[in-house]
Amino acid sequence: MPKLKISVLISVICLMSMIVYGAVGFSQTPQPTVRLTTDPAISSSNPQGVAQLVPFEAEATTYQPPARLTLQAMDASGQPLENAHIHLQIFTPSKTPWFTTDFPIVEGTTLLEIDAVAPKGELTLQQVFPIRGTYRLLAKVTPQTANAFAPFEQTLTLSIPENWVKYQNFAVLVAILLAVGIGGGWIIGGRQPIQPGEIAPQPVRLLLSGVIGVAIVALLVINVSAEMAQSGMSMPMSHMSKAAPSADQPSRIQSQELDLRLSGDTSATVGKLAQFQVTAIDLKTNQPVQDLILNLKATQLENNWVAFAYQGVSDAAGTLTWQQQFFDGAPHKIEVEVAPAPNSNRTFQPFAVAQTIEVEGVAPPLLVRLISLSYLVGVVGAGLALGLMRRQRTRLARHQTAHSVRI
Amino acid sequence: MITRSTASIQQQAVRFTLSTPVQATLYISLCALILWTIYFTTYPAVHDKVHSLRHHTLTVSCH
Repeated sequence: MPKLKISVLISVICLMSMIVYGAVGFSQTPQPTVRLTTDPAISSSNPQGVAQLVPFEAEATTYQPPARLTLQAMDASGQPLENAHIHLQIFTPSKTPWFTTDFPIVEGTTLLEIDAVAPKGELTLQQVFPIRGTYRLLAKVTPQTANAFAPFEQTLTLSIPENWVKYQNFAVLVAILLAVGIGGGWIIGGRQPIQPGEIAPQPVRLLLSGVIGVAIVALLVINVSAEMAQSGMSMPMSHMSKAAPSADQPSRIQSQELDLRLSGDTSATVGKLAQFQVTAIDLKTNQPVQDLILNLKATQLENNWVAFAYQGVSDAAGTLTWQQQFFDGAPHKIEVEVAPAPNSNRTFQPFAVAQTIEVEGVAPPLLVRLISLSYLVGVVGAGLALGLMRRQRTRLARHQTAHSVRI
Repeated sequence: MITRSTASIQQQAVRFTLSTPVQATLYISLCALILWTIYFTTYPAVHDKVHSLRHHTLTVSCH
């Protein structure tokens, strides 16, 4: 019996080992993957002094080009997957109302969705990332030829740190607010006897008058200068909603036996995707033209920066379809230039179609703004409390000193 | 009698106004108003004027 028990135990151990080894072995089987590289590189892997991937900087003094993303689909052996079709979605970081970003409306939305033909399994695009945080890139890879390889999808993440200048400016702001609070608490906490005929102690009156004066001057400077900047314009201008100027090129051109048309939304709203499609038709055969080089570029017209750019090829239907979100409430221009493929029989001079998009800005949610305001007011309140406590301790110390002197 | 009660009410009002909690509340309210105008109002003239400041300050949302 003991021998039987030992045999059973050994058998169970062997069986468990086989199952575990099989599971581990399966998980370590090479799988097709999508590799992501960025230019500039992500800060964690970036030596100091080299350009880093940062979020969009509004009103930047120097031109900030979009980041270049390259997704390479590879088979299990690490070789590029050829003749692939990549469907890419880029999702912005999740909503963070308690620590908001520049563009809270953009948080938790889809930034880009594009269907791309990837002859060499590579998809390269340029994209401006509006906010800090972890972006998700969902890449679905399918073969152009049926059954060439098994379709797969992969989710990649891209973490973008906040611009350090914002931390610096916030620290300065906190220091100023703390000083304002401490100063106010020091003055308010002082015991000031009321002189006959006075409504309030003179220092308190002076403090409140000073603060009110600063508020009035600040509001006057801001409003008067803003009014002077807008004088001469028939309509008050706002960054949040501006009429889009017409594009230099039309959205449809028939040239050199090609009918190129850019269609889609002519207006957009921050936080929502706008749909676009460019179609190329052969005027002679009335058939779609595939494998044309399409250079796509989306430019913000107010400050002339490129929000998104992509170079790809038209698919079998002669189209390139994508959806993108405009995170800045300003007019944009979508421009698509068509050029012949390097080894193509079709030769023609490149030409472009364009379309302007009105983008409606959306004010940040009131709750988000109130949360941030509460943080700043909290700093003032903390400074005020410190000032009051300090004043009280100083007064108590003087009182005790005076009492001990009398004794 | 009426004069004395009026003076008493006035003194109470003065004491209340000059009390530390009321003064502190007024002070913080004024600071909050200034901060809201500079960093959070959607009034276009103000928004355009301090647009860069807002975008370069942490925890301040713009659009």
